[in-house]
Amino acid sequence: MARVWQLLLFVLIMAVLIGLPPLLGAGLQNAMTNMLIAALFAMAFNLLMGQGGMLSFGHAAFYGVGAFAVMHLMTAIDRGGLSFPTPLLPLAGAAAGLLVGLVTGWFATLRSGVYFALVTLALAEMLHSLAPHWEGLFGGEAGISSMRMPWGGFIFGQVIEIYYLTLIWVTLSIGLLYAYTRTPFGRLTLALRDNEERVRFMGYDAHATKMIVFAVSATFAGIAGGLLAVSNEQANYELFGTHVSAQVVLHTFVGGSTVFFGPAIGAAIFTLFAYLVSDVSRSWLLYQGVIFVLVMLYAPLGIGGVVMLHLRHWASIPWQRMVGPYAGATAATLLMAIGTVMVVEFLEALFSPHYVAQRRQAETSWPAFERFGASWEPFGILTWGPPLLLLIVGLLILLRLRHRIVALWDEVQETAETAARSGV
Amino acid sequence: MRAMTTLAVAAAVLSLGAAEVKAESLKIGIIESLSGAQTSTGRLFASAAQYVIDQINADGGFNGSPIEVVEYDNAGGTTGAADRFRQAVAEGVHIVVQGASSAIAGQITEDVRRHNIRNPGDEVLFMNMGAEALELTGEKCHFYHFRFTTTAPMRVNALVSAMSEEGDLGSRVYSINQNYSWGRDMEEAIRAAAEAGGYEVVDSDLHEVNRIQDFSPFVAKIRASEVDTVMTGNWSNDLLLLMKAAGDAGLDVRFGTTFLDQVGNIANAGETAVGHYIAHLVNLELEDEAWVQDYEQVTGHVPVYIEPQTVNAMLLLREALSDLDFGGEDIDVTQIGLALEKATLEGPNGTLSIRQEDHQIVTPVVVSRIDEGAKYAVDETQWGFVPVKVVSAEEAMYPVQDSCQMDRPD
Amino acid sequence: MLEFIIISTLNGVTYGLLLFMVSAGLTLIFGMMGVLNFAHASFYMLGAYIAYSITRTIDFWIGLLVAPLLVGLLGMLVERYLLRRVHRYGHAHELLLTFGLAFIFEELIKLFYGDFPVNYSMPAYLRFPAFSLFGADYPFYRLFIGLVAIGMFVLLYILLSRTRVGLVVRAAERLPSMAEALGHNVPLVFMGVFGVGAALAGLGGAVAGAFFPTNPNMALELGVIVFVVVVVGGLGSIEGSLVASLMIGVFSSFAVGLNWSLARLLDLVGLGDWARELGGLMTLTLSSISGTVPFLLMLIVLLVRPAGLFGERN
Repeated sequence: MARVWQLLLFVLIMAVLIGLPPLLGAGLQNAMTNMLIAALFAMAFNLLMGQGGMLSFGHAAFYGVGAFAVMHLMTAIDRGGLSFPTPLLPLAGAAAGLLVGLVTGWFATLRSGVYFALVTLALAEMLHSLAPHWEGLFGGEAGISSMRMPWGGFIFGQVIEIYYLTLIWVTLSIGLLYAYTRTPFGRLTLALRDNEERVRFMGYDAHATKMIVFAVSATFAGIAGGLLAVSNEQANYELFGTHVSAQVVLHTFVGGSTVFFGPAIGAAIFTLFAYLVSDVSRSWLLYQGVIFVLVMLYAPLGIGGVVMLHLRHWASIPWQRMVGPYAGATAATLLMAIGTVMVVEFLEALFSPHYVAQRRQAETSWPAFERFGASWEPFGILTWGPPLLLLIVGLLILLRLRHRIVALWDEVQETAETAARSGV
Repeated sequence: MRAMTTLAVAAAVLSLGAAEVKAESLKIGIIESLSGAQTSTGRLFASAAQYVIDQINADGGFNGSPIEVVEYDNAGGTTGAADRFRQAVAEGVHIVVQGASSAIAGQITEDVRRHNIRNPGDEVLFMNMGAEALELTGEKCHFYHFRFTTTAPMRVNALVSAMSEEGDLGSRVYSINQNYSWGRDMEEAIRAAAEAGGYEVVDSDLHEVNRIQDFSPFVAKIRASEVDTVMTGNWSNDLLLLMKAAGDAGLDVRFGTTFLDQVGNIANAGETAVGHYIAHLVNLELEDEAWVQDYEQVTGHVPVYIEPQTVNAMLLLREALSDLDFGGEDIDVTQIGLALEKATLEGPNGTLSIRQEDHQIVTPVVVSRIDEGAKYAVDETQWGFVPVKVVSAEEAMYPVQDSCQMDRPD
Repeated sequence: MLEFIIISTLNGVTYGLLLFMVSAGLTLIFGMMGVLNFAHASFYMLGAYIAYSITRTIDFWIGLLVAPLLVGLLGMLVERYLLRRVHRYGHAHELLLTFGLAFIFEELIKLFYGDFPVNYSMPAYLRFPAFSLFGADYPFYRLFIGLVAIGMFVLLYILLSRTRVGLVVRAAERLPSMAEALGHNVPLVFMGVFGVGAALAGLGGAVAGAFFPTNPNMALELGVIVFVVVVVGGLGSIEGSLVASLMIGVFSSFAVGLNWSLARLLDLVGLGDWARELGGLMTLTLSSISGTVPFLLMLIVLLVRPAGLFGERN
């Protein structure tokens, strides 16, 4: 993508991130803060995964450690009278992440592949099961709670202030991560992923290098956890749970681990999606899982990867012939999505304890249930017909268009190859 | 002439409308575990609170308009609760209601405290319907938190009193609890009541919460200590598995519990539950049949588990609100808090009130036994809770904790 | 004391055998296909819930028979239509896919059965004591779980080492391309192995779910322990899986009842009170960290000898 366009896009995104929140309510502002934190966490994770080629299933460990470090510092300021600038609180998270990352990284990077993943899992689980018993450090099941102190003229009492603080930290951190990729060490990280043996032959200590990459990733994960602690003013051992490690994996791969901003995109989409949908539907975790599996099956490069693919071949894509199939595919996907949502929501309604109670009270054994503001008969054609119809129609359209789109992309590949061969 | 009347009427109607715009409606936010492992309990808190609010609204609401209720799902976690609290505050909630977890209550009470410090004049009140950790009226106490449920010492004192009177306590007791704040509160309370209860705590155990699949080693230990009674504050699986293991091993002890009335427990435990005791706030047999039947009509089931105590809490709120008149103007939550401190409720077991020093509800505690022939059968089995003794509020109460240093607004 | 030891050993062995039922399939699948199936514990959970539904509507024994078959079928479908599709993107991708599937299975269970435990229990006539030990009754059903697991191990062993099918399976595990060259339908073998592995986990769920609580969390609870078992035993080795399961089962059973701590140890040299004042790590009892130790064990194995007890070095 041309430099100018990149810059414009960056400016646009920053303008939205800076200018939009004051217009939103505190609830949405808080959601955006969470979105930024999740994005940073995913980017930190992807430093290890996408660039270093090491899949970690225990990144919650550094996230949680960062949060607790900040909570202890916050408590020292709040109750111990320590004088420390509140905006710099996440530094404690970075320090803790770095320290724990170095130690655990030394152990973890002794192994690779699936064994590496299992080591990270074991370490995180050990921390998760140990934390509730180590009260001095982790505060039992209620965790550690404190309060942000005013500093430098700011009270840090409003959600919007915390949002901007988080925005500054996240922008700086992602900037640093980007700069990292531009350094020779960043290149070395990629080399480690591609061919570790060759790196060793070049004279580098692969183990030490991997350990440093691990530690850097843990540092930024610690900053993300620290930002969460600053925002919530509380941290407890739940932060070490497997679901936290799981979420960051989901975010990264849905966004695309091969593209630099992919994980941030995935995190942003999923956290906003969760915020908007979780109030409306009880099954949003299911939708999240389904989207993840579909991306794994049909778009293995993630959303970011797909976008990158289009940008790279922008010139050679036959847009006039592409627009039709793309529009059709989008429409078909939308139809299938609506159909799926309807089916899931209907099933959820039918199997809910509320409906079971309704059945017990009603005269007929299967009374109508409520969803989407309307009443539906459990065994009616009008209930199941529309969603099934939407699903089938959507599926058929997609199957038809798939061949067309694949054929068009084959053309694009050929054009790219011939261009490459002729040295254009 | 007609035109003048029409104009006058129009003006009157418009002015009424203008007055309406100024009237602030009381907004209650139920931040509960509506998804996740605690859903079944969370749902009960929400439905019980809603029941009373609907009644208040049927009688005209408060401050000139109906009370608004919004439900927020905290997904059973503290980070979810923190996010939802911020959302609730942004949407103008005055009172937060929650009860399904002490950890979440700990988060919410701290969030409320911090919010109130930062936003004087815009305070929020927290009605804690079910979280029993002592620290909530101890270290973490503050003016805007009210606890409407018992604590470990209250339940234990009641159990000891009732069981010894029935001759089922014995002199050797085993304490087994979960290793977190509630379980440790229970263990301490069991030890503290030993002298007055005339028993010896032979041995005690603190085990991991919700992780133990297999309680038979503990059952073996209990058998080895030759005790008459086992006291436990366990809930959910931890209670069920313990009792099942005891039943399977043919262990002959009496159980004194606090959460045996959780929905599904009796059905799951079956015969092994019969003859054991529970200390809880309300036993339906002692209640006025009219309201029990009304509750069943409205919600579809008789009030179970924590629903009665939540209803009582909301009735206390109703009492407090009836003494207040904001004249349709802005609602002053501090005034609600002050009124709540003075509210009382007459119940079939005694009077309910709030202790000013730490905002702990002063309530009689009922001890029941699981048996056949109860008026209300539970979980569609043939058993129910037969009331054994009503322990008076004075006898059950625990002293105000030193760690509670409440800053009062007056 | 003796009673505690004997009961704990018996419980440990039966729990270990249950772990084995679930981990045998996982280690088989990994050994054969190099895929660490994150959804394996979900098959365990599905087995329990399907057996529950069948027990409620038809019969307990039919449930025990049909649930594993259905889960096995599901396993085969997952391998054929999902795993095979992402095979070309590498092992990490397959891992992630199974990870996503575990997620979906858990949410589907919650959708249909609710978020809380269901009352899946054995029929009343199976609820009797097998024998009495020091005045304590030992429930027969526990032995039943152990017997099913042993029967399963024997069957599996015979199948793999004495039958022709087993020979093909072992060949396909060692050198898939060679086995294919010899004319065997290796993809079919893979699908079959995956299905059988899933069915074993499903059987474990169907049998154990009637005794232990059946709730949507059971996949996660058992899943991480099963990983520990297969790593310690050696990825790909069934014997290793058996030994490791027994080890961890017995250890968990013992640890739960022991209140040993570092402070208690220091009591021997008179430093006990000092240690107790220090708090933190010193006063942690073995029973409270009984959940942590298996992970410590897994960590040690991974770092010192990743092949585990019986696995092959590769």
